[in-house]
Amino acid sequence: MISFKQAHIGHNKTLLAIESLSLAKGEVYILAGRNGAGKSTLLKTLTKEVSLIAGNISLNETELNGIRPNDISKHLAFVRSSFPNVDYLKVLDFVALGRTPFTNALGRLTSNDLKIVAEAIDALNINELADKFTSELSDGERQLTAIARAIAQETSIILLDEPTAFLDYSNKMRVLELLKRIAQEMNKCIVMSSHDIDLSIDSNCPFLVLSEAGIQLLETPVSKQQVLELAF
Amino acid sequence: MEKLNSLTRNRIVLLVLLCVLPGLCFIHLISGQIDISPGDFYDAILQFDQENVNHLIVREIRIPRMTMALIAGAALSIAGLLMQTLFNNPLAGPYVLGINSGASLLVAFSFMTGIPCLISDMGTVASALLGAFLFGLIILSFSYLVKSHISLLLIGLMLGSFTSAIVYILQSVSSAEELKAFTMWAMGSLQHVELSTLPFIILLFVIGVVGTLFISKPLNVLVLGEQDAKLLGIQLKTVRLIIIGLTALLTGVITAYCGPIAFVGLAIPNLVRLLFKTRDHRTLIFASALFGGVFLLLCDTVIQLLEASILIPINAFTSLIGAPFVVFIVLKRLA
Repeated sequence: MISFKQAHIGHNKTLLAIESLSLAKGEVYILAGRNGAGKSTLLKTLTKEVSLIAGNISLNETELNGIRPNDISKHLAFVRSSFPNVDYLKVLDFVALGRTPFTNALGRLTSNDLKIVAEAIDALNINELADKFTSELSDGERQLTAIARAIAQETSIILLDEPTAFLDYSNKMRVLELLKRIAQEMNKCIVMSSHDIDLSIDSNCPFLVLSEAGIQLLETPVSKQQVLELAF
Repeated sequence: MEKLNSLTRNRIVLLVLLCVLPGLCFIHLISGQIDISPGDFYDAILQFDQENVNHLIVREIRIPRMTMALIAGAALSIAGLLMQTLFNNPLAGPYVLGINSGASLLVAFSFMTGIPCLISDMGTVASALLGAFLFGLIILSFSYLVKSHISLLLIGLMLGSFTSAIVYILQSVSSAEELKAFTMWAMGSLQHVELSTLPFIILLFVIGVVGTLFISKPLNVLVLGEQDAKLLGIQLKTVRLIIIGLTALLTGVITAYCGPIAFVGLAIPNLVRLLFKTRDHRTLIFASALFGGVFLLLCDTVIQLLEASILIPINAFTSLIGAPFVVFIVLKRLA
């Protein structure tokens, strides 16, 4: 779980102040807000790519400031909006890179690692892609592959930056449903930023709405009216 | 099933190449201007006779030259692979990024000072290593400033031009003797190494290769980009410095003894990726070393065979083959 206390977030100057907020395991939180409201900055603060200006954030009861940059991998996995554009990298090998924090200095995958990778691929139902090169995948398949890597990392927190942005309607639904199932079945705390407000409301997830006034947690059921009034 | 097949196929390719390697080495050894019988080779190694000219040629010229071809090809290819992975750019390499130029510049300085200990073999190696490392750091700092792959390559090329300009100026103010020594070196050749220096070069080469194998894990993760590598627990700053250090070591030692050799480092890793279709650096490092070594050995065999009529510097020969191949890679990526 993630908790915020008087956390000031932004690049050098405060863009967003979070008085007190706690995000629980088993839920998918939709991070909504207009462009520039600080969605990406908030996510990157959690990954320590942007430093916290003031206050406290903790991941699973461990203070973010106390976590060394190399150890952040044991607390959270991050799925970026862009997928790395490299050739000759197989889906299986890509997902296996999620095991990096656990492998030895030479990066050897143990049978346990391989089992976890296979389970992650299985959970996303992309077994038939395992031997394909990532450069041959469609946008939807890439997103599922990226999520599989995050699951293979076995963290209790997964952050996703606009995972549904480039997908068609059916794939958007598929990813959302999948994330919900993963959050519940694997007891993970998932936060995803999104502009697909209608879709996210249909999926019956709690919302985190960013605006000048700060951050507002909307518990389910969320109405579109509420989100629009707060965010725009 | 398919995965198993491609893995088996890759292993077979490597095994076949390893098997034909002794044959290629032998062809290189016998293809000099002076005919030496296989029996003489055998004796030169096992029953060395200091009075026998053929024995001396084998031990002091042929064997060091063959070994240097293998090592130089392997070292430059691994250095190229390191640069391509670090900068996430298939067109990177120690030569285009100006790492060689750094080595050349400091070697030129050391030649022109006229200080004996700097002109010595060790002085040249130390200057080349330092120069390669300094220019590696310069390129690394530029990589933070420019986001585009092409811009970084342009900066590398400019670094090269700038350096050669300084070297020209240095040459114009140096004495005839200094000039001759430097020009000989800058022509690039695999034949200036003596048998007694080989163990030292092999030692540095082995350190470079083993070091690279040890960082194959971070190299594999770097394929995802630096930000994601960091989030997977890779100590980015340390890894970057190690990569630059290993590249400088591998490029510097070869440049010190053989002069600048272009395109091997750029072309071979691309060829290897094309053939092996993998991103696993344990395979890529081994395959790059093997293919690079064989490539330079073949180039040098041709040079040896032509030596009676024309003298081609190794640097010119690798460019003749390497440059069109790199154009092919660029076209293939655009297609």
